[in-house]
Order: sequence, then C-alpha cells, then structure tokens
Amino acid sequence: MSYLFKALFVMFGVGVLGAYSVATWFGWEVANSGSKSRLGVPFIYGGFRGGK
Amino acid sequence: MSVLLTSCPSCAGQIEFRAGSSIVVVCPFCRSAVARTDRGLSDLGKVAEIISSQSPLRIGLKGLYNGHGFELTGRAQLGHEAGGVWDEWYATFDNGWVGWLAEAQGRFYLTFFQPVQEGSPLPSYDSLRVGAQVAEIPAKAPFVVSEKGVAKSLAAEGEIPYRLEPGEQSLYADISSEGGLFGTIDYGMNPPWVFVGKQVTLDEIGLGQAKARESAVAAVASAAVKCPNCAGPLELSAPDRTERVACPFCDSLLDVNDGALVFLKSLDKTNKPRFAVELGAVGKFMGDVPFKVIGASVRSVTVEGEKYFWHEYLLYNPMVGFRWLVHSEGHWNFVESVNPGDVSVSGVGSTCAARYKGRKFGIFQEAEACVEYVTGEFYWRVEQGERVTATDFVDSPSMLSCEYAGNEINWSLGTYVTVPEIEKAFGIRGVAKPSSVGPNQPFTGGFYITTGLAFVVALLIAAAALLPFTGIERTVLKETVTLERLTAPNTPQTAFSGKFELKPDRNVQIVAAADVSNTWVDLDVDLVNEASQEVESVNIPIEYYTGTDGDGAWSEGGKTQDASLSSLPGGVYTLRIEGTWEKSSLPMQVDIHVKQSVVRGVNFLCALGLLALFPAVGIARWITFAGARSGQSSFGTLAGRHLSGR
Repeated sequence: MSYLFKALFVMFGVGVLGAYSVATWFGWEVANSGSKSRLGVPFIYGGFRGGK
Repeated sequence: MSVLLTSCPSCAGQIEFRAGSSIVVVCPFCRSAVARTDRGLSDLGKVAEIISSQSPLRIGLKGLYNGHGFELTGRAQLGHEAGGVWDEWYATFDNGWVGWLAEAQGRFYLTFFQPVQEGSPLPSYDSLRVGAQVAEIPAKAPFVVSEKGVAKSLAAEGEIPYRLEPGEQSLYADISSEGGLFGTIDYGMNPPWVFVGKQVTLDEIGLGQAKARESAVAAVASAAVKCPNCAGPLELSAPDRTERVACPFCDSLLDVNDGALVFLKSLDKTNKPRFAVELGAVGKFMGDVPFKVIGASVRSVTVEGEKYFWHEYLLYNPMVGFRWLVHSEGHWNFVESVNPGDVSVSGVGSTCAARYKGRKFGIFQEAEACVEYVTGEFYWRVEQGERVTATDFVDSPSMLSCEYAGNEINWSLGTYVTVPEIEKAFGIRGVAKPSSVGPNQPFTGGFYITTGLAFVVALLIAAAALLPFTGIERTVLKETVTLERLTAPNTPQTAFSGKFELKPDRNVQIVAAADVSNTWVDLDVDLVNEASQEVESVNIPIEYYTGTDGDGAWSEGGKTQDASLSSLPGGVYTLRIEGTWEKSSLPMQVDIHVKQSVVRGVNFLCALGLLALFPAVGIARWITFAGARSGQSSFGTLAGRHLSGR
C-alpha cells in the first residue's frame, strides 16, 4: 500500500511538472478573461461597481 | 616441548600430548587432568564431564585463520559467577600459534596471548572500573572494560595449553575495542596474562561447514523436565545454557543446577501481564532465521513518580544465539548485543551522545530499570526486582541501549520493527498498534518531503529553462482610441484599432487605461482574426474612486485594467472596442496595449502550490512527530556521566 501511494505521488508530481511545461510552452494560461480561460470565468475579479 | 605418547598416571590408559604447546591432557578414560612437567607427569585431579551443549564445535575440527590452518585440540568449560557456562576451545595452529576460541551465547571470539609491554604494568583487578579504558594494552582505539568477574574451571577435554586445576577460580576482565576487537585479562596468572583478538563467525575461520552440519541436530535439541513445585511439564529450548526458569504454570522461579531444576521462590504475580507473543512461538528475523521465544519478562522504569512498563522476549536460535524482542507501548524492537568497545560516549546531560559504527545516537532517556515479572527460561540468573541503570540513545530507526550494573556493562542495538512485520514474522494477527510515537520509530513521510521538494526544485529549473523561449514580453499594439459620447446611456459606442500580428503559442494580454476619477467605464473588447473572422471577446471594466472619511483618504480600483488570454491562432488581428461609461455625455479616450509572452506567474504559482502541498504537509507532520517523540524523552543533567569519556 505504501509503495502504491509513493508511485501515485511520483505520477502526480511528474504530471504537474509536465502540465506546467506544456502549458507554458504553448501559451496556455489560467487566464482571467476570454473564452479560452482554462477556468472559464475571470480568474481575478475585484468586484466591479459599475457596468451596463 | 614435543609430541608425547604416554600413560595416564591415574588409570594407565594411553594419553597423547599431540600439540607441543599442550600442558595438560584430560585422560579420556578416567577424566584425570594430567600435566606434563620437566619432572614427568602429574595428576592434577579429576575434571567433570563436559556439560553437553548445542555447540557446533568439537575437538578435531580444522579451520583456517589469516591463511594459517588450525585444529581444535582442547576445550575448557568455565562457569560464570552469576551463573552460566561458556566454552573455550584451544586452537593449535600449524605455524605454532596458540589461539583460544571462546564461545558464549552463540558468539565466537578468537584471541591470542599478547605480551604486555615492559614498564607498562596492567592495572590491578580491584582498580579496574567497568566502562573505563585500559590504555596499557596497545590498540588503535583504547580497550574498554566491559565485564569483570570470577571464572570457575568446571570441566575440560582434550589438550589444554595451561596448567588447568579442576575447580580453580580465577579473576578475569573482558575488554573490547573498536572494530569488534575483544580481549581478556586473566588475573589468575601473575603477572596477568592478556589475550587479544576479535569476534569472528565460524565462516570467517573456516568452520562454516561445522555450523551447517550440526545445525539440523542442534535445532531439535531440547530437554523435557518437570517443575519441582507444580510438576508442570517444562521443555527447555536451550538446556545447556539456561540458568533460570520461571514456570509458566505456577510462577515459580527455578534455578538450573547441573541440569536439575531447583525451586527458588514463588514470583510476585502483581504485574503478571498478557504477552502479545506466547512462549514457544517461533518468529523469523534477520532475513529468514527462525527464533524461538524461550523467555519473557516485564520491566519498568519510574519517571517522575510514574511507572512505565514494557515487555521483553528472549529469542533463541541454536546456531545464532540469543536475541531480544522489546515491546513497549505498541512499539517493537529487535535487539542484538553489540561490542562495548565499538561504542564511544561523549558529553553529559542533553549533550550526551553515543557513537557506534560511524553513527551518532542522541541521548533519549536514562532511568533505573527493574525486572517486574519473568516467565520461561533465561541464560542468566534473572531475579524479580533486578535493577540496572538503563540509558537509551536514539538514531531512528535504531536505538543504542546501555545497561550498567556495577561489574558489567552491556550495549545493545535495537532496530524498529513495525506491527505488520511482527505479525508476519510470527504468523499472527491482531497485534495492537501503537498509539504514540516510539523513541526510534522512523518517520514514514520522509519520501514525500524529499521527493516533493525535488519536484519543486525541478519546477524552478523548468521555469527558468522555459523563460527564454516563452517569457520575453513584447508589445504588438500600442494605440489610443477615442469613443464618441454615448447617444443613450446604455447604448455602447464602438471603435476599431489598427491591425497587428499575434504569434501562435504565446499568451495575450490586453491592457486598457482610461483617465477616470470617481466614475467607471466598461469595455467589451473583441479580438477579430482578419483571416478567419473568429472573434475572441474579453471584458475590461475600469473604475477608480477616491475620497476621504474619518480614517483619512481612500481610493479604490484603478485607471488601468487588463485581461489575459491563452494563446490564440497566429495571424493578423484587429480590436473591436465597445464601451459604455457613466459620464455618457462626454467622449472617452482609452489607451490600449496588446502584449504577448507576458510573465504572469499564474501557471507557475498553481504548479508550485500543488507540488509544495505534499512536502508542506509532510514537514508539518514531521514537526508534530518529532515534537511527540521529544516529549517522551527524559534524562537528568548528569545523564550518561558513568558512560562519558570512554
């Protein structure tokens, strides 16, 4: 069981590193706007007081 | 002296002095110790029969040490003052050397006579202190006294290289030094004789075959006897080495006297426990070596008025000897004795530390340990109430322990064993798990800390390596657009930028700035691909408010806002800017910048957060773990004083 957790952890770490590298290389952002935002919503929203 | 074939002066049977160095031969017919002198043969008296043991050695065995062949030609059996018997085998080498192969508790020590340097007399027996150095005997590291006592000559066979007087008692001191060096000072001679050598295995001295050949027989050797108090059946697993037996049926403490059990006293059953492992159980340790549980005891220490108990199991394998299993508050340790000369202690109190084979062990606790209850068989004369000063040093997963009792000092090395390993070793289930942190319990989260930190370092390297390719920011559009005043408050005005080129695989950031003060403007910005007419829309709200209140001046928002996007397909784009603003009767001027390869750090921070999570949690766990461990540590300011400076 311990070995399994360690293997999963290594896979997780490699996955995060890989995802970061690929995203950085291809210009993918956790953007704060736009339909290609990987979060789909503005990432940082300061509480707009005005508006249409 | 030379080889001599002659007749026994007692029975006239034929005896032979085969080794030139032999002084005494035990007559195989009448057991007289026959000494040869310049004036002829002398009968020194009868010697007892050798107490049968499970020793793999026997007279006539031939071995090899340092390239020189030897033969075991004699054997003396000596009694320890605290009970127990050990064998000393006389090894006659083909180059004339004379060696002694001592066998005790399954361990073997090969020693040779070593003349003491002139002008450097040995300390007297009375001045020797257990644990103190003996600088008079040259060695790379000073010899240390590990035990002093009285040996009694009990029995002998074959040829002996000294004048063996049956029943004679002599003072001795065992000494040890680094690297397994071992020695004995024999105060039965005047001046004392010194024997120096080292602990060896049978394989190392070419007697490994004897070990293998005899093991099958030895493994089944046991003696069935009855308790003299309750007549309960007792099976002794190490009958030749057992000195005390605690009857598991009636809790009588029995002394082993020449193979017979003698009732000594009834044991106090106040602290009679339920042991996790039963007597007679066989567990596999040290790889796959089977050890039988032949004795169990409860011991205690009293710290700040509170008694803490633990259980100790005596394990026995005829070919390996004795080991211990210590069970304390759910934690288990497999314990082996170590050569006292291999341990050095420095400092006192919290700075006290022991060094063993290059490892440093910090002091953990020191207290007087007391035997509360015993059951089974023991190779020493165990007593209920027996007390020693016990000092524990820790370097997880090991614990170096010292038990000091006046004329004897014993060091042992415990290795942490997990509950699943105990269950597997004995083939049992349901062993209680520990509820606290053990003194030498290894921290199991180290992998997640080290590997997690390695991932963080790898992330930093990756970020630095990618920066030249992806992170050199460039501005692709810099323009000021003017939106005409609104025709109606909610009807936006629209303006277009000039054309600009976006590269693929680079993020995009649109920065808009408007000179607003206590008002707002809301911009919907479309990136229009001139070739495909695909539109990517972002919203950029700009608002800036200032004022004063009871706390002083304040401001909120900003005159510049931005919107960031992931990469878009490469090509020529224009911006379509649609805006509404509060002061609709006035035109709105907006500065627009479009940038690519902007280093925002969001991806990096997200990755860093994910990767740092595990080591951060691991470090927090380790701090808690170490705190819980050190919370159990207890020692006085003078702890280790009796060991220090060795």
